[in-house]
Amino acid sequence: MNDHSPFDSAPDAELGAALREALAMPFGGAFVNRVRARINQSRQRSWDEELAGWFWQGLVAASFVTVLAGWGLNTFSSAADETDNAATSIASQLLDGTTPGASVLLASMTSTDTP
Amino acid sequence: MTGVDEVKLAARAGRGDTEAFGALIELHQAMARRVAYAILEDREDADDAAQEGFLSAWKAIARYDSSKAFRPWLMQIVVNAARDLRRRRRVRAADPLDSVSPAAKDDPARLVGDLDLGERLRTALATLPERQRLAVVMFDAEGYAQAEIAALLGIPEGTVKSDVFHGRRALRRVLGTVKEEYDE
Repeated sequence: MNDHSPFDSAPDAELGAALREALAMPFGGAFVNRVRARINQSRQRSWDEELAGWFWQGLVAASFVTVLAGWGLNTFSSAADETDNAATSIASQLLDGTTPGASVLLASMTSTDTP
Repeated sequence: MTGVDEVKLAARAGRGDTEAFGALIELHQAMARRVAYAILEDREDADDAAQEGFLSAWKAIARYDSSKAFRPWLMQIVVNAARDLRRRRRVRAADPLDSVSPAAKDDPARLVGDLDLGERLRTALATLPERQRLAVVMFDAEGYAQAEIAALLGIPEGTVKSDVFHGRRALRRVLGTVKEEYDE
């Protein structure tokens, strides 16, 4: 031991062996199994994370489709409302007789009934 | 050194082969845990840090450059994991080195008088600054070259030489005391 100088650039085999023994950790097999189990868990988690990633993409796509469908439905129902409103207003004007054309139309209808 | 082609095992592990990575864990667990202990001075913490190191290595194994040695690459990750854990522990509790008195730091051999050799060396190591502990453990116990240790710790090679010198001096004093006791 004392043959070595602290300045030696080669490792001190005796000190090294003593240190390895002093720092040796027990249950190497159990440690390896524990780490292997954690790695398998992390692989499982990666798969879950992959699914979670797809979930968010799916959610974004579904939201987009819902918004698009809502917009389409709204547009369609507005057009239908406008058509209904137009038909209702012509019919009500004819029945009320508020427009000049209505009396002409009604007269022509009644004149064909009485020869 | 181990007779096993670590680079091939690492390449297989990089393709997702957990068995290959398991073989690498078996090869290096003892060294990784010793080095983590040299930083943390607690067996449970050392195991936690070594485990975190192996998990980080598993996540990064696909990026491992096979033109470089595997062992220093892995040990760099383990050292980082142990230092991270030490930092987190420091936030929660006082540094265990604080319990060592300044007088004991000056003369580790006196502090460790009644303990067995392993305990004496561990206690003597605890009196050294972390960098000196790491340098002497990695150089004398684990067989790393001083240049490798310098690269791993991010310090100049001259600093490693100085740390090994001071660390050895303290530890050899302890070993010398034990030898004298046996001789008597």
